[in-house]
Amino acid sequence: MLKNYFKIAIAVLKRRKFFTFISLFGISFTLTIMMVLAAFIENVIGNDYPDRKRDRSLYITSMEERGKNAMSSGSPSFYFLNKYAATLKTPAKISICSNGGNSTNTYVNNKKIAINYKYTDANYWDILEYDFVEGKAFDAQQVKNGEHVAVISEGLKKEYFGDIPSVVGKYIEADNVQYRISGVVKNVPITTYMLYSDIYIPYTVSKIDYLNKDYQGGYIAILLAASKADLQKISNEYDDVMKRVPMENKDFDHMNCRAESYMRSFLNTGNEDSSGLTEALTAIGVFTLIVMLLPTINLININVTRIMERSSEIGVRKAFGASSKTLVYQFIVENLILTLLGGLIGIILSYIIIQIINSADLIPYFVIKMNLMVLLIALLICFVFGLFSGVYPAWRMSKLNVVTALKEQ
Amino acid sequence: MIRLQNIEKVYRTDTVETLALNSISLDIAKGEFLSIMGPSGCGKSTLLNIIGLLDIPTKGEIKIDEQKTDSLSDKQLANFRNKKLGFIFQSYHLINDLKVLDNVELPLLYRESSAKERKDLASEALGKVGLSNRVKHFPTQLSGGQKQRVAIARAIVGRPEIILADEPTGNLDSTMGNEVMDILLNLNKSDGTTIVMVTHDENMAKKTHRLVRLFDGSQVQ
Amino acid sequence: MFKHLLTLIWNKKKQNLLMIAEVLISFLVIFALSTLIVFYYLNYRKPLGLEYENVWVVSYSNPLKTENGDSLKLFYKDLLNTVEALPQVKKTGFCSNNIPFYQNTWSGSLKGNGKEINNVDNYWVDENYQDVLHVKLISGRWFTKDDVLAKQKPILINQKLEKELFGKQSALGKLVDEGNRKIIGVVEDVKAKGDYSTPKVSMYMKVDTGSWHFIQRLLVKVSPNADAAFEGRLYKTIAGMMKNSNLEIEHLVDKRKSINYFSLVPMIVSLIVAVFLIINVALGLFGVLWYNINKRRGEIGLRRAIGATGKSVSSQLVSESMILATLSLVIGTFFAIQFPLLDVFDLPKEVYLIALVLSILFIYLLVFICSLYPGKQAAAIYPAVALHEE
Repeated sequence: MLKNYFKIAIAVLKRRKFFTFISLFGISFTLTIMMVLAAFIENVIGNDYPDRKRDRSLYITSMEERGKNAMSSGSPSFYFLNKYAATLKTPAKISICSNGGNSTNTYVNNKKIAINYKYTDANYWDILEYDFVEGKAFDAQQVKNGEHVAVISEGLKKEYFGDIPSVVGKYIEADNVQYRISGVVKNVPITTYMLYSDIYIPYTVSKIDYLNKDYQGGYIAILLAASKADLQKISNEYDDVMKRVPMENKDFDHMNCRAESYMRSFLNTGNEDSSGLTEALTAIGVFTLIVMLLPTINLININVTRIMERSSEIGVRKAFGASSKTLVYQFIVENLILTLLGGLIGIILSYIIIQIINSADLIPYFVIKMNLMVLLIALLICFVFGLFSGVYPAWRMSKLNVVTALKEQ
Repeated sequence: MIRLQNIEKVYRTDTVETLALNSISLDIAKGEFLSIMGPSGCGKSTLLNIIGLLDIPTKGEIKIDEQKTDSLSDKQLANFRNKKLGFIFQSYHLINDLKVLDNVELPLLYRESSAKERKDLASEALGKVGLSNRVKHFPTQLSGGQKQRVAIARAIVGRPEIILADEPTGNLDSTMGNEVMDILLNLNKSDGTTIVMVTHDENMAKKTHRLVRLFDGSQVQ
Repeated sequence: MFKHLLTLIWNKKKQNLLMIAEVLISFLVIFALSTLIVFYYLNYRKPLGLEYENVWVVSYSNPLKTENGDSLKLFYKDLLNTVEALPQVKKTGFCSNNIPFYQNTWSGSLKGNGKEINNVDNYWVDENYQDVLHVKLISGRWFTKDDVLAKQKPILINQKLEKELFGKQSALGKLVDEGNRKIIGVVEDVKAKGDYSTPKVSMYMKVDTGSWHFIQRLLVKVSPNADAAFEGRLYKTIAGMMKNSNLEIEHLVDKRKSINYFSLVPMIVSLIVAVFLIINVALGLFGVLWYNINKRRGEIGLRRAIGATGKSVSSQLVSESMILATLSLVIGTFFAIQFPLLDVFDLPKEVYLIALVLSILFIYLLVFICSLYPGKQAAAIYPAVALHEE
């Protein structure tokens, strides 16, 4: 039976080429938009280089202090994290590093290079699994001694030194200071903004007084749990600690600073009233609705038209004993075949578009890849699309009166 | 009233040439009720279309009211059809999405007339065919005979001098067919309307003034 | 004829409903997009309000351990003089980090004339700010060195704030902030968040002894031929004076580009998406109309037979589509008009109105084009053939 439907579907598609073109255009284009979006999001949040242990890590990235007439939000300070987070008992390892977005310049051969820098401790290199192209990370002793050592990214190496095989042991000047290069790591895309940097330096050589006793001050902490089961425990332990932290000053009466999963901290808006996650999901939902709604209505419209065109075929089928149910089933299957065909074109189109986006290098070091997850999403969208645009026309079809249907053509 | 001279009509496709009408000459007097008969495909409908100025002959000339028609523009033709001709078809060609009254009013929409005038004329025409009680119905709610009567009302609403009927009783049973035929005969008699009717039915043809038979595009009687 | 078409459409309402819905949603999408574009365009047409070419921004972090106001003041005066002494430097000035084209904002409220205006951008600047960025002075004067001594702290406000506080009156000389501050000048609005943004209400305060601890930016206006080599020299010079500071030099030209990019990218993405949605809709409309013509061949043939010209048949079909579009637009306008009425996004009302007119015209044009060809096809239908098909 299914084979029969398939044959009819292909025949119908061939009959009205223009309508088939419109349908396929709508389906494949809609799917392309959705897939590129899905691939983009998947790669932004799904990229687990360098934090491969993400699923058993918690992140403290922002704090919010509130009072009656005052509100202040930002990243916590080194002092604060060192005092309250680094002392937690449950985590297997804790790292404190400066948050993203710090930049400076260096000048080589009359060329200016803008550099992002990040202060880290030695644990940072244990918790995060950076891929070292050469050399190694700095160790706890070097951090303690305040040595001017640095780990740099592959991109910076190329920009600063040009194409030379090895730079470990060489000096790089950044922010008017000479650092000895201890290792070179693969680039992190800027979309992983919490960990992205061109140069990583021990926090002890920070020019800004990292022992400043302000609560806020541009650092984040990564807490690594021994196992996934410990995550909740760590989060609870940290919340307990936070309850006992005295307010920074009289302006504030409460404080909001939590250890969160990667996703939540990634989308943190720094405002306890609005969850970044909810906002992101709403935005994606609205976008999806708009992008999907019009092509769906369009497809319904065309499907209704096509069905009316086939009224004599339907009349004959009914006359020879097909029930409305089987007809509806037939039409939905036909429509699913159409959408899947459109989906296939959509996948090819999105593949091409993703290649174009990648080669345009819009975001440095960020490469969009299609993976199984994205393909599954595409398949799901296709299915929903086919179902939605098929059901109403099929219902209209099943209502068709046999006599008029037979007479009409 | 209508004069056809040596009308010839050839249909061409890529490979075949078909002679649909072969040198037809015909004079139709004012007030005459003429019927055209012949087997399927003999060219009856083509002839009617040519008389109705819906189709152009390949050769020959057609004059209506002593007026040559081959040089008329699309607009003049449309105007001519609107004022002088009324059409009735075997399959009625009513617009199913319009009520009976709106269907009958249709020809008046293509000429200058007020809404009230249109309504009055349409009601009057429907009265003549005995359907005054169906004005608010949709065509799908009517029987075949009623539909054809609506079509007749539509054909006469503009008071044309000539009515062209293409197998008006072809889809109807004999009772309904006779009803329709009576209306046509009555129109011809009381209003003096010239009627040209294509038919299959000998009985219907017998009731008219004159009969023309076609066979393979030629006039045989 | 018009009433006739309305009747025809009304009696076919079930078939027409989907088309009305499709046009309606297309209209809403177009309306949203054109609102954005009109908003950007109107902003783009306004003057930028400052000159950003050849202005470099030096960011530094707290370089001195001292809290002593006088020594801070001396240090910064020294820094300013040193930098200004460099050959290609034209003028320099200190300011707070909410520099135009940067993401940083710093806002508060301002009371005056019995009103309280919230979300006023606060800029801390020095007397050289105007010579660096050439913010246009509308009335009054810019800061001078002696302003520190004044009892009521002098401030400048922009035109927008002047209008909100004092309406048509001049703000010059007025006391605000409960008599603590005096308005000495009004400047032109500055589009601080890039070419496509709306200027916000703003006030300018003078950097004084108490503000040095949060002032971390130095603006440097250089001559057009200043290159990377000179920038390196400037960098070294400043780094030599501020040993404990992180230092970064950026160019306002680049910052403007990147902040514009942030406004344009979402618009371009939505534009691309919208274009394809519209192509989709256009093809769909075209297909359905075209199909309907084929379905109505009998009707069209009949109309020709009873006296319709080819032209009147095609114009009838085009008018039918236009009436359908009008119905959608009436419903759509009802929804669209809610945005200015309820003031949903805090945009000027004229933005919505222009966008509304544009989208209505666009939809009419779209439907017109989509129905033109099917209409022409209809006119070409041969009545003799169409009438004998069934």
